[in-house]
Amino acid sequence: MREQFRQDMHDVQGDVVAIMEELLNTTKLSVNALIKGDEVVAQEIIDDDDRFDSLTLGIEERVIELIATQFPVARDLRFLMSMSFIAMYQERIGDYAQTIAKAARRSADKPVPQPLIDLIKAQANLVYRVMDATREALEERDLELALKLPELDEPVDSLNKQFYRELGRLTDEDEIEAASKMVMSARALERIADYCVDTGERLAYFLTGERDLLEAVEADLEPQKII
Amino acid sequence: MSASTHQTKYSTPLQTDPLVTSYYVRNLEFWYGDFNALTNISLDVMPSAITAFIGPSGCGKSTFLRCMNRMNDLIPDTKVGGDMLLKGADIYSSGVDPVDLRRRVGMIFQQPNPFPQSIYDNVAYGPRLQGVKKKSDLDDIVEDSLKRANLWKEVSGILDKNGLAISGGQQQCLCIARVLAVQPEVLLMDEPCSAIDPTSVQKIEDLMAEIKDEVTIIIVTHNMQQAARVSDYTSFFLQEVAGEPAVLVESGKTSDIFTAPIDKRTEDYITGRFG
Repeated sequence: MREQFRQDMHDVQGDVVAIMEELLNTTKLSVNALIKGDEVVAQEIIDDDDRFDSLTLGIEERVIELIATQFPVARDLRFLMSMSFIAMYQERIGDYAQTIAKAARRSADKPVPQPLIDLIKAQANLVYRVMDATREALEERDLELALKLPELDEPVDSLNKQFYRELGRLTDEDEIEAASKMVMSARALERIADYCVDTGERLAYFLTGERDLLEAVEADLEPQKII
Repeated sequence: MSASTHQTKYSTPLQTDPLVTSYYVRNLEFWYGDFNALTNISLDVMPSAITAFIGPSGCGKSTFLRCMNRMNDLIPDTKVGGDMLLKGADIYSSGVDPVDLRRRVGMIFQQPNPFPQSIYDNVAYGPRLQGVKKKSDLDDIVEDSLKRANLWKEVSGILDKNGLAISGGQQQCLCIARVLAVQPEVLLMDEPCSAIDPTSVQKIEDLMAEIKDEVTIIIVTHNMQQAARVSDYTSFFLQEVAGEPAVLVESGKTSDIFTAPIDKRTEDYITGRFG
């Protein structure tokens, strides 16, 4: 019985990792559609809206079933609860990837100022790095990497602030609506990275049983934010 | 880690004042002849609470439980070392009468063991030994004890029936009523639910919760869910190497032990990875 339970937990983790991989891919497609003004790809992503919702709901249902039937405790209970939260975070990440795709559709035929395109490319690359590290941290159950996520998220936040500064520099000739869609997308990317950090927090709790490990790491980063 | 260098992990620090505890155990050792069965056991058992002892078979938890009312005195060639204080007084000091101690510290066993007498006489047995003779007083004690043991409704009309003629679960409740009738301070329960049906298990768990404010309860159980369900504190015993003494690996609040235990061996045991 316990062997089957362990296999079931292993499968849940595998499925969450697979969702993360797909989300990284979808986020990349959304950002590329935004940069290239590719309305077709953007629409495909929008049409695929419900898939991540049902995938993550499936994780939650399996977690509930395992809790109800296997009476997990300690590490096993922390694992299952963490998977449930992490699945919810992935669903939110999916929503933000949709937000970017919708911005791409709406601004497809409008010229976007080059500095904003450069910024979104840079920010997206940083976010992909955070997403990939989050997936790896879960797949490898790597506490050190999970604790490193706030550090990886730091430049994403900084770049996001630059967007607002760039927005202030725009002139009347610029396409303000398209620019604001870019800024909205930058904000979505920043939130995706935040959910990755939250995922790392849950992962650290699962691995150690301690709740404040990642908070302590984030607190150490605070002074850099002020500077 | 060998037993000799073992350090118990505590999620809440040990008390310094024995009087705030029910049992205050420090550096307890126990030997069967030359075999050191338990070593370096230090533990607080808090009053008005349920403490569960868990661990694989043969890990010494029942041996330790029997140290708590000196039941092991009845086994030849056994020896106890260290301190075992009940309400601040050493139960192994020369002036302590083991029979009186066992009145203060009642015990329930895995197999219900009612006397082959009526239900009434089973419950009245202890009070009669204590000198209660008046029928109305005995009636009150019997009714009160059976009510506290969640059995009154079922047996109030058949008090003359033989205690062995009722179901196993009812027999266990009767044994609990028999112990409660002499108003013990502590109730030791050695796997009390392993030989009875699930409905009776529920009934016994309910009565444990109802009486714990008045009686300190210590339960040995192999059922992890039961330990998690009923207890306020949990202690995990383990004999890691055959032939070596068993140790207390970890002790603390049940909510801590079952969500984030400190010791990996505790984690591995309660999640079913060994034992």
